Amino acid sequence: MLTMKNISKVFKTDLVETHALRDFNLEVNEGEFVAVTGPSGSGKTTFLNIAGLLEGFTHGDYFLDGVNISNLSDNKAAAIRNEKIGFIFQGFNLIPDLNLAENVEVPLRYRGFSAKERQRRVQEALDKVGLGARMKHLPSQLSGGQQQRVAIARALAGEPRFLLADEPTGNLDSLMARQVMELLEEINKAGTTIIMVTHDPELARRAQRNIQIVDGQVCDFTLYQGGQAHVAQTEQKVAS
Amino acid sequence: MLNIKPILSTLMRSKSGPVLLLLQIILSVAIVANASFIIHERLGMMQRDSGIVESEILTFNMYNFDPSIDRVQQNQLDQQLLRNLPNVMAATSTNMLPLSGSGWSSTLNLGPDSETAQSTPQFAMYLGTEHTLETLGLKLIDGRNFYPDEINTSLTASGKLAIVSKALVDATWPNESALGKVLYEGEDTQITIIGVVEKLQGAWIDSGDLEYSVIQNVDWGGRSYLVRALPQHHAELKQAITDVMLKENPNRVIDDFQSIKAVKESSYRDHQLMVTVLSMMVVLLLLITSLGLTGMVMFNIQRRTKQIGTRRALGATKADILSLFLTENYIICVVGGVLGGGLAVLLGQQLMQHYDLPQLDLLYPIMTVLGLLLVTTVAVVLPARKAANISPAMATRSV
Repeated sequence: MLTMKNISKVFKTDLVETHALRDFNLEVNEGEFVAVTGPSGSGKTTFLNIAGLLEGFTHGDYFLDGVNISNLSDNKAAAIRNEKIGFIFQGFNLIPDLNLAENVEVPLRYRGFSAKERQRRVQEALDKVGLGARMKHLPSQLSGGQQQRVAIARALAGEPRFLLADEPTGNLDSLMARQVMELLEEINKAGTTIIMVTHDPELARRAQRNIQIVDGQVCDFTLYQGGQAHVAQTEQKVAS
Repeated sequence: MLNIKPILSTLMRSKSGPVLLLLQIILSVAIVANASFIIHERLGMMQRDSGIVESEILTFNMYNFDPSIDRVQQNQLDQQLLRNLPNVMAATSTNMLPLSGSGWSSTLNLGPDSETAQSTPQFAMYLGTEHTLETLGLKLIDGRNFYPDEINTSLTASGKLAIVSKALVDATWPNESALGKVLYEGEDTQITIIGVVEKLQGAWIDSGDLEYSVIQNVDWGGRSYLVRALPQHHAELKQAITDVMLKENPNRVIDDFQSIKAVKESSYRDHQLMVTVLSMMVVLLLLITSLGLTGMVMFNIQRRTKQIGTRRALGATKADILSLFLTENYIICVVGGVLGGGLAVLLGQQLMQHYDLPQLDLLYPIMTVLGLLLVTTVAVVLPARKAANISPAMATRSV
């Protein structure tokens, strides 16, 4: 599903070069639920941005669904983001001036769906997250958990095969975080591949696999089954 | 268009900025449409064909203070001396200067009975000689010029003839030839029309009767003269005329040399000033409006940086972002344009009532709105392109 080979990302200024990712290798299979953890500044967000085609990389190869997306044009990248990838952001990133239906409709409009098809998908997606009756409400009229559910509905409406979640429960209290996690698990069970960046080890444990990034490299990964560590091994050692 | 509905929702939910811009556009359209109309109307006035070769005609005044001279003889001698000067193509005396704002005007009856006869419109009454047509560069389209022996030296002399402008003929005898027609000054004095010139304007540029003119066969002489020569000879002719006139008779004053072109420019100065002021106002208003648009777009880009990044992350192309800002501003521009167009018509009606202006042509509000769409495009495209270049990675940044 997703294969990264020797991906490097270097941010350059006049004075300093920062290696955000170094020889980063990763393979995620279809239908997996992968949690990505690591300390602040370790490269988690850079990895997520590259995986989601939100920014490019300096070296290496990246295959998504078998397609090498190393040298994609801006428009092609936008089309892949729109069709294959769903995004869930820590701050929800809903558009405050649009109501829930209009927010969920945003990626569908870029996809070029007819009004009828958009309406069907919006209704379905909002029903799925339990907010089908509040389509005309504005984001500001919802709680944080509800807003994140709208963001999940927006990510799901385009029926992506791949969901990228950036700290999806980071701004939520524990009850709402649990609800959102249950929703993500449900989505994953339905067949959608999920990669979730999180600081929370408890949440990471609920994924099938936990990848830890340190200093821009995959430090180790852990396989979980039923909430218990099943296998643990080091894939790469951080160059000292 | 693809995104009109959500854009309208956005505009309706954050009204203050768009409403202020809308008001600015409404006022701009109303003012610019009327100002453009007035500018066009004034430019049209200034560009009217007077029928005469304005740049080639040099005019001057001569004041005789010697009571012993025979004014008629002196006048004829002076005119001959003028015609003999090098580079002079023609010269004649006149009682008034075209387009100068001052002169003679009259109406004449079409029949002998002043009680019952209809009369001509008000016309400018030139007194001239057989040299007048050539000096002014008038185009004779019917009849003939005066013969030298037909020129009188007094307004009361008999045998009065006239050459009239075609506009006067059309207004007085539509679809008829004017040749041989008689105009009456009271019961006894008759003026017979012998020629028609294509065009000859009078002295009063703001008058509705400007195009109506009559030249009578009277060598009025003694004060104002018209000399035709190419413009490059005017400077040397001023000195030559002064020299030859003073040599002939030193007891007089010669001054007020100017071309008819300068006379015209002086008469139209107020109109030119209005055109300049209104043009500056139009440019300033369009500039302020475009700055307003640019300012609002830049403000919105700054306010919506994360939103733009999110849209890009969700699949918007750069063209989609450009289109978002253009559509948003086109909506404001079109709504403002329609309301401003309505206000322009109302304003035009008020100006028509109070300032004797013609009715506003609807083309002007329409053209103003089209112009505004162009201004909007220019004002929005540059900042919107900046917005389109916002990275989709902005969506994951905490800004």
